[in-house]
Amino acid sequence: MGALRLPSLTSIFTVSSARSSLFPRRSSNRLNVRRLTSSAKVFAKATEVAPAESNQKLPVQEQGITPRSQDFNAWYLDVISMAELADYGPVRGTMVIRPYGYAIWEAIQDYLNVKFKETGHSNMYFPQFIPYSFIEKEASHVEGFSPELALVTVGGGKELEEKLVVRPTSETIVNHMFTQWIQSYRDLPLMINQWANVTRWEMRTKPFIRTLEFLWQEGHTAHATPEEAEKEAMQMIDVYTKFAYEQAAIPVIPGRKSRVETFAGADRTYTIEAMMGDRKALQAGTSHNLGQNFSRAFGTQFADENGQRQHVWQTSWAISTRFVGGIIMTHGDDAGLMLPPRLASVQVVIVPIWKKANEKNEVLDAALSVKDVLHSAGIKVKLDDSDQRTPGWKFNFWEMKGVPLRIEIGPRDVSSGSVVVSRRDIPGKPGKVFGISMESSVLVPYIKEKLDEIQSSLLDKAIAFRDSNIVDVSSYDELKVAISQGKWARGPWVGSDEDELKVKEETGATIRCYPFDQPQGPKKCLMTGSPADEVAIFAKSY
Amino acid sequence: MAGKGDKPAKADKSAAVAKSSKGRKKETGLGLTNTKDGNFGEWYSEVVTNGEMIEYYEISGCYILRPWTMAIWEIMQNFFDPEIKTMNIKTCYFPLFVSNNVLQKEKDHIEGFAPEVAWVTRSGDSDLEVPIAIRPTSETVMYPYFSKWIRGHRDLPLRLNQWCNVVRWEFSNPTPFIRSREFLWQEGHTAFATKEEADTEVLEILELYRRLYEEYLAVPVVKGRKSELEKFAGGLYTTSVEAFIPNTGRGVQGATSHCLGQNFAKMFEINFEDEKGEKAMVWQNSWAYSTRTIGVMVMVHGDDKGLVLPPKVSAVQVIVVHVPYKDADVKEIINACSATVKTLCDAGIRAEADLRENYSPGWKYSHWEMKGVPLRIEIGPKDLANKQARAVRRDNGAKVDIPMADLVDSVKGMLDTIQQNMFDVAKEKRDACIQVTKTWDEFIEALGQKKLILAPWCDEEEVEKEVKAKTKGETGAAKTLCSPLEQPELPEGTLCFASGKPAKKWTYWGRSY
Repeated sequence: MGALRLPSLTSIFTVSSARSSLFPRRSSNRLNVRRLTSSAKVFAKATEVAPAESNQKLPVQEQGITPRSQDFNAWYLDVISMAELADYGPVRGTMVIRPYGYAIWEAIQDYLNVKFKETGHSNMYFPQFIPYSFIEKEASHVEGFSPELALVTVGGGKELEEKLVVRPTSETIVNHMFTQWIQSYRDLPLMINQWANVTRWEMRTKPFIRTLEFLWQEGHTAHATPEEAEKEAMQMIDVYTKFAYEQAAIPVIPGRKSRVETFAGADRTYTIEAMMGDRKALQAGTSHNLGQNFSRAFGTQFADENGQRQHVWQTSWAISTRFVGGIIMTHGDDAGLMLPPRLASVQVVIVPIWKKANEKNEVLDAALSVKDVLHSAGIKVKLDDSDQRTPGWKFNFWEMKGVPLRIEIGPRDVSSGSVVVSRRDIPGKPGKVFGISMESSVLVPYIKEKLDEIQSSLLDKAIAFRDSNIVDVSSYDELKVAISQGKWARGPWVGSDEDELKVKEETGATIRCYPFDQPQGPKKCLMTGSPADEVAIFAKSY
Repeated sequence: MAGKGDKPAKADKSAAVAKSSKGRKKETGLGLTNTKDGNFGEWYSEVVTNGEMIEYYEISGCYILRPWTMAIWEIMQNFFDPEIKTMNIKTCYFPLFVSNNVLQKEKDHIEGFAPEVAWVTRSGDSDLEVPIAIRPTSETVMYPYFSKWIRGHRDLPLRLNQWCNVVRWEFSNPTPFIRSREFLWQEGHTAFATKEEADTEVLEILELYRRLYEEYLAVPVVKGRKSELEKFAGGLYTTSVEAFIPNTGRGVQGATSHCLGQNFAKMFEINFEDEKGEKAMVWQNSWAYSTRTIGVMVMVHGDDKGLVLPPKVSAVQVIVVHVPYKDADVKEIINACSATVKTLCDAGIRAEADLRENYSPGWKYSHWEMKGVPLRIEIGPKDLANKQARAVRRDNGAKVDIPMADLVDSVKGMLDTIQQNMFDVAKEKRDACIQVTKTWDEFIEALGQKKLILAPWCDEEEVEKEVKAKTKGETGAAKTLCSPLEQPELPEGTLCFASGKPAKKWTYWGRSY
């Protein structure tokens, strides 16, 4: 089945078939269009289902999603479609972020925006269009980005005098302005951030992970000394690391990129690397020490306390909507998504259960009052009171959407003044607790405690998974074995850029980072046998 | 001037400028070379740049929005976003790129926007097979998905909003905030089963826009309905909040809330099965406010010393400046300033201290006046001795000594007063410009006097076109701004000022941005 699915799914993001499916001939069965997003199986099935009847049903109920254990990629795409996280955009490789997916991004923004301000950064907004001449100023930068640049050459019906780059990142325009704003040491440090969309014309795309346009925040700072710049770059990778662990329950590994993987125009790139459920690595956030590369290219200088002109030292750092993909691929199981409570837009879903009509009112009343109790305690709660679906259908649906906790209320619960609470992360009976009092003094602390438990349990699970899939290697052969088993290989490395590229060609793995956390003791490079100072982590990546 | 503790009078401001440009060259030049009444256009661009809101760069019509601007934008977002979320409107994000055939889908709509579209034609080193447009607005991007996502009546209403940038490559007179080629906005797009629900939402959103202007930006607006000629291309009807700039005598469309009717639903086949199982078409709205709001606020409140920011939206509400004297204990004064800031911040007031020693107090006064901070607190040795601080209002220059014991309440009270006073003054000025005209001659006279004209009108498109043609001049033609929702009484037999036909309504007219 998985093999059947893939072509139709991947084609959505590789060829511009999106348009044809967006504008189907309306005379044909309209449902087919929708099914395209889920799977080939559904597509085949749809022809058998009368439109009127199937209008009442969501695809998820009919065939569920591809099990995660069976086909990770198909599972990922199914979850995105059926949990209504995103849809593919009208232009190849673009995506529409739907409210349920956007809410995750908003939760990320809410947390980081506060942290950025606490660490002294101000928000601003730079224009989306960058004159091509700006991009050209920093040689390695233009070399790194030019194949991916989208260029506007026509505006308002006229050929433009200078072609404009749709920003792939804003270092160049930022430096152009910093040069005008920075005069003396008193103007430093200058620390800004912007929330914006950026464009990179990529060929291989995947929702959230790699899209032509994506949303991100990009921080840019200028400092008087290299030490301050280094401190800032480290501080921001630390903010990202804490965010990943504490909010997203993703045990990322922070470290330094190899020369080959360093940002075009940076002296050093720091990264947080996350292990996805298929054990591929995801670069989830980066922080660059730009040194004086951009300030020299743009002449960004300041007069120091002695009146000497000096070039500023800079950093830039970013996290994007790619992180949402990271959350989806870290947690979750065969039944669908599993959202960490701190980032979930719905933390608790209440499903009322009644059989007879005369039970409905009292059950709904109780459900409503439980909702109010939780809502006023600041818990994000949703009551699914629609009478179109059975409770069983709702259970599956909200599990698929990854809601951390479910509260069930039936007639018997109403008479006993209690509810049933089920955890998303512990499927079936073991995760189900009966007889929790509806009293707010009992229920609220109980729910809060469970949410905290789920949060830390998701992290613990992810840590265990990560650690059991990292292999310490001491030779290239061991590395090859580990990589071929789909694992991450960690080993001493002083290899050259060529050695690194050779590993990539032969195994498909790249250096994800030199982790900050380094083992003690003498080491020998796994490739060359020379004494090595550091271990590097190799893995296949997104 | 330094240490005098008074804000520089108009006369010695030029001295301050000369001094600062000679003494310490800071890119924030002090003082304005143009006056609001003298040369409004130049004054405006000076204010937004010297006030550190905007920076120009190589691309005409695109501007850098500096932290002083973004703070205002964020405060407005923090009001508007939760409001619409309680209305159960969800946030989403649609792509920046639109393919040509999607863009062409709605004919009237694209006729309105086509001349302004920017096109991506190349990626990397190769030409794209088909050029791709950058959204000028997202109706045509979003509605194919509405068609896909909406099946039955249970999928309705579908209410979405997004915060994003849009691009309109206009050639006429780019003006920061007011008319820029790229701007930030929110665009709401909603679909309902019935027209009544859509109508209700149009007005609910319009009310939020009014509150944004009047309660936050302290700018009085008129809620009204656009004429057929001025309504949104492809929509059923358009409502707007209209502001007025007395100095230029121009109206400015503050924000719009459109009922699109079923026109887009028809083009994009947004159908649903109603409760009886019959196929029906949805009713749609779209509504938006943009960074233009900030420009309107600057134009209305700014003065010859620079920006004047309403306390509610100002990133810094109170600036505390230390005023050292030769023999005074500077350290003690600085400590008092820091303590004052802390007390205010703890009380939820956005306060900052400017304790830089390389600038004189006088320079700082001018600097923060340029940036429009609503309230300045000065602390010198005498204040310290008297356990008081001097508070100076930006909006009217009034000075009050406030006892430190009563700091928080006094400051809160003053900020509220400033907010209210700014609105009252702006409203008074605007109202003074309103001129009721009943004949063509009166109309022309009022137009010449830069009035906001309220006239009885027959509501015929041809007549508006004629008025436009007849008033066309270097400064642009007069057109309808809106017909206020709250209509003054229209006595039977009142005639249209332009056509002499029976008037149907009162309508605001004027030149506009």
